[in-house]
Amino acid sequence: MNPSKFNLSRRKFLAASAAIPVIGLAPGLIRSARASGPVKLQFMYPVGVSGDINRIVSGMVADFNAQHPGIEVEAIYAGSYDNTEQKVITSLGIDEPPSLWLPINSALQTFLGLDALEDITDLAKADDIYDDFLPGFLNTCISDDRLYGLPFQPSTPVLYYNKDAFKAAGITKAPDTWDELLVAAQALTLREGGDLKRWGLTVGGGWHDWIFECYCRQNELVPWQKDKVLFDRPEAIEALEFWKKMVDAGVMPAASTWQGSANDFLAGHTAMLYHSTGSLTNLRTSASFDVGVAFMPKNKTYGAAQGGGPLMIAKNQSDEKKEASWTFARWMTNTENQAKWSRATGYLAVRKSAWESAEMQSYLVEVPAAKVALDQAAYAGAFLQVPGYHRVREHLKSALDRTLAGEVDAASALVEANNNSNREIERLMRRQKG
Amino acid sequence: MTDIVRNTQAASTATTASTATTAANTVAAIVPSPFSVVLRWMSRRWQHFILAPLVLLWLSPMIWIVLTSLKTKVEVFDPDAGILPAVLNFANYPATLAVAPFGMYLVNSILVTGSILIAQLVTITLAAYAFARLEFPLKRFLFTLFLLQVMFPIYAIFLTNFVTLRELGLINTLPAMIVPFVASGYGTFMLRQAFRQVPSELSDAARLDGCGHLAILWHVYLPLVQPTLVAFGIISVVTHWNDYMWPLLVTNSDSVRTLPIGLGLLAKSDSGADWTRLMAGTTLVVSPLLLVFVIFQRRFIDSFMHTGVK
Repeated sequence: MNPSKFNLSRRKFLAASAAIPVIGLAPGLIRSARASGPVKLQFMYPVGVSGDINRIVSGMVADFNAQHPGIEVEAIYAGSYDNTEQKVITSLGIDEPPSLWLPINSALQTFLGLDALEDITDLAKADDIYDDFLPGFLNTCISDDRLYGLPFQPSTPVLYYNKDAFKAAGITKAPDTWDELLVAAQALTLREGGDLKRWGLTVGGGWHDWIFECYCRQNELVPWQKDKVLFDRPEAIEALEFWKKMVDAGVMPAASTWQGSANDFLAGHTAMLYHSTGSLTNLRTSASFDVGVAFMPKNKTYGAAQGGGPLMIAKNQSDEKKEASWTFARWMTNTENQAKWSRATGYLAVRKSAWESAEMQSYLVEVPAAKVALDQAAYAGAFLQVPGYHRVREHLKSALDRTLAGEVDAASALVEANNNSNREIERLMRRQKG
Repeated sequence: MTDIVRNTQAASTATTASTATTAANTVAAIVPSPFSVVLRWMSRRWQHFILAPLVLLWLSPMIWIVLTSLKTKVEVFDPDAGILPAVLNFANYPATLAVAPFGMYLVNSILVTGSILIAQLVTITLAAYAFARLEFPLKRFLFTLFLLQVMFPIYAIFLTNFVTLRELGLINTLPAMIVPFVASGYGTFMLRQAFRQVPSELSDAARLDGCGHLAILWHVYLPLVQPTLVAFGIISVVTHWNDYMWPLLVTNSDSVRTLPIGLGLLAKSDSGADWTRLMAGTTLVVSPLLLVFVIFQRRFIDSFMHTGVK
């Protein structure tokens, strides 16, 4: 989650390359669990949203353990998404992976490249997974028509706006298209003399590559395939040129930080903000004004890239443990637990039946904004599921930053990022094959 | 650290100056001339005009942390709210403590940091003595290896360290956070330099009196390099007290985790940090170190002035 940590990916490559020869030897090393006593599972999870999420998770795990005498799950808090990924890859490197973990969905190809994931397609087909999970969420765990995880805590960016500022500027509804967005941002930008008092719009920095993918999707382009990125397509270039236009118009800052932009919004220094649905609870409860939530404005279509993560099950473990892991993953994503989890955290519930439950219905009455995120999820897809996505994100972010800072034009920046990213991906894939 | 040195200087100036002012007041009582009193006061205390802003600058993050920890969530970002919290809201502290077992984390942090410090002091003293005063084959080569160790970023050797610890069966135990750090190339280097500055006549005299290596080390060298030991101790304690990534990697259970991991729970990237509780947690985490520093302040400052480390 910390975009400035370049060394993370270096460490990951070291760990990954060390893991490859070891994993080849794996099947012979699997120890069969003792027949007596419960099956012991380790579950590593990150905490991406402030609050008492680790308490909620450990509470859920305790409930599970109480209801399933044959299984004992140990919940292990593992830091941020990046920290969790590193902890899991380290354990894969020594051939003792946790039974389950909760990475960000972008890591799918990374873990597949390590041959770390159990294929759960058949189990899921025998169950109601394909019928009841929202397809947009389920798709983030699918590669080549096989399912490698159960979505657990999805999120998407949404457009937050300051209702008081809208009222003062005489704007009655949230912008629905890019053009309306620009007009609204111009009306909302406040300058006194030469001094800027309030930006019209801020894109949460640090994850602006995530929001940029949403813009590409709004232009009907998924800017990646599982083995390459497509940042040099005209749709992507047009999206970045639109950002540049907003910066040049003086309504949007050229750079921001993830936490800083949320703070600016709360302090009234920006009237509109692109940020994660994960921030909803925090923004709602910390703001001294009325917070509005809207779809990200469309261009050709609505579009969003999904953040958040699925539960993944390790391939390198005994069948007994795999079975128990499936039971646990299935339980964590059942209707009742998803409704509870969504309500407590602000993440989106993954099951249709969870949204229909009485608990979620009453939550939607209380917080109608949550419905916006759900409706928008119909247009959402996975975020940048390519091998080595950490490096690719850095290339893309550098292209976005340099363009907005006026150092290069959108087209050449994106072409350069595209070529660098594809070279990186090819290098990784060669290494994984060799 | 420079500022702290200045603070003490300021404090000592203040004491002398205040006696002087009393004297000046007596004089002023006899010859009432308020202007000259002010002038004299200014000329004696002019340093304060420079030092006071510096002190404020150094203290401002601390003050801000404490103030934020006493605010409500809305107050933190409300532009109309002042710097001071409207009502002292101590509820953030229990709310922070409820997030994780901070008491247990504190005990673990003290155990880990303390054990590392003690182990390091023993190993670096012995190693530095050997490198400074003994002759043995491959001495230069071995010393170069020690220096190389300083240059390796800890992240580069995470995996190998992890594998070693697993073979020792130490994963998810307190020693897992201690064992990789019991030797320190940096400390050995620092102490070797200090030992070399001790005149060899002193150790020769001790040897004539019948001292062995250990006795020489204990009676001659260590008392003379105390400031270096203290300086190294501070660096070591601060580093390991604040270490986050390694403890997170090698521990799984609450019962063996340390304070920074608890803090990590409050600094969330998806949603923006939970500032009030994060600051309450920060206050709790830094206060033991601050307390130790205040208690041993004079000794610490002496040692830094001695070794030239700033």
